[in-house]
Amino acid sequence: MVAGEPVPHNAAARERTAEDSARDVPEPTESEVPTEPVESAESVEPAEPVEPAEPVGRASAIRPFLLTAGRVAGSGTGPPLPVETQIVTTPDGLSALRSLTFERRDIVAACRRPQSVAELAARLHLHLNVVRVLAEDLRAAGHLAVHVPNTGTVHDISVLRRVIDGLRAVPDSRGSLRDSS
Amino acid sequence: MVSVPSPTHGAHSATAVEPPLPVKLVIAGGFGVGKTTAVGAISEIRPLTTEALITEVAAGVDDLTHTPGKTTTTVAMDFGVITIDPKLKLYLFGTPGQDRFGFMWDDVVEGALGGLVIVDTRRLDDCYAAVDYFEHKDVPFAVAINAFDGEVQHDLDEVRWALDISEHVPLVVFDARETRSVRDALLVVLDVALTRAQAANPA
Repeated sequence: MVAGEPVPHNAAARERTAEDSARDVPEPTESEVPTEPVESAESVEPAEPVEPAEPVGRASAIRPFLLTAGRVAGSGTGPPLPVETQIVTTPDGLSALRSLTFERRDIVAACRRPQSVAELAARLHLHLNVVRVLAEDLRAAGHLAVHVPNTGTVHDISVLRRVIDGLRAVPDSRGSLRDSS
Repeated sequence: MVSVPSPTHGAHSATAVEPPLPVKLVIAGGFGVGKTTAVGAISEIRPLTTEALITEVAAGVDDLTHTPGKTTTTVAMDFGVITIDPKLKLYLFGTPGQDRFGFMWDDVVEGALGGLVIVDTRRLDDCYAAVDYFEHKDVPFAVAINAFDGEVQHDLDEVRWALDISEHVPLVVFDARETRSVRDALLVVLDVALTRAQAANPA
């Protein structure tokens, strides 16, 4: 069993867990969970503290799944979209932009530049699973193209070589980071 | 083998913009071990943080005796990006390292090229879960000791013994603050992945 292969058993487990999450969600989690990112302890390392580009917080100010009408797995039947799934606005989505509102509009607007589910969630301050649901909705409506990564990539020698060559080309020092937005 | 992501959903996928092929590596380890620092040292963007709701259950790695009841919690996951070329983007996901975040790992590790487990030799216990997880999932991985202040307090063989990692698993010392050092540690992981892929598909 190799990690990149489709794993329906995991998918099933995740669906179940996601449903459980939805059931457990009704009380806002921010009352029990510190609003600081859980890993903020890392910023006290001797290293130059690396702060997230933007503060996290807006997402936990509302019940996340209100945005999705309580749905946790979108309309799809498959496993949740992998976090690196690339999302791109379609021409249809672009022309529909004016008719969309709130998060849906934000997502379609942001995806004029292709980006991953994870990037989208981070930049729009939405929960990962909320983005998954909304992205699947918008895909079904024809507003977004959703490019689910091919699981065979993990074993693709040519891809691995490209990644290795690309990493080797990373300079010894990054200097100052570009802004992410 | 087809390696270009194909729009697998729906007929409305016609778009002028072809996104890059995304690949990912996972950086795991206990809290405060340097995951975010490592991601930040090599990412071309400042690490982004995303929140996900997780339920504190985890098959395989969770010790259920500590979590008699399930609870839902929010975890933060930091990640960075390296553009390999216009058609290939490498994501680096730093995943919460505790046992109870096993669910989060499944979510992120699925489809990863490999993993780097960061270890603080003062708190070896914190990385057992990550090592077990990668072994169990058969994900190519390496273990990297974060040399805080350039100092490693244990002999490498001792660490290997204490972690009970097999001799095939590379064990390196690195500095999570140094781009060069993080890059080289990730290259060790990719080398494991490449060797394994080559063994599986002899030319």
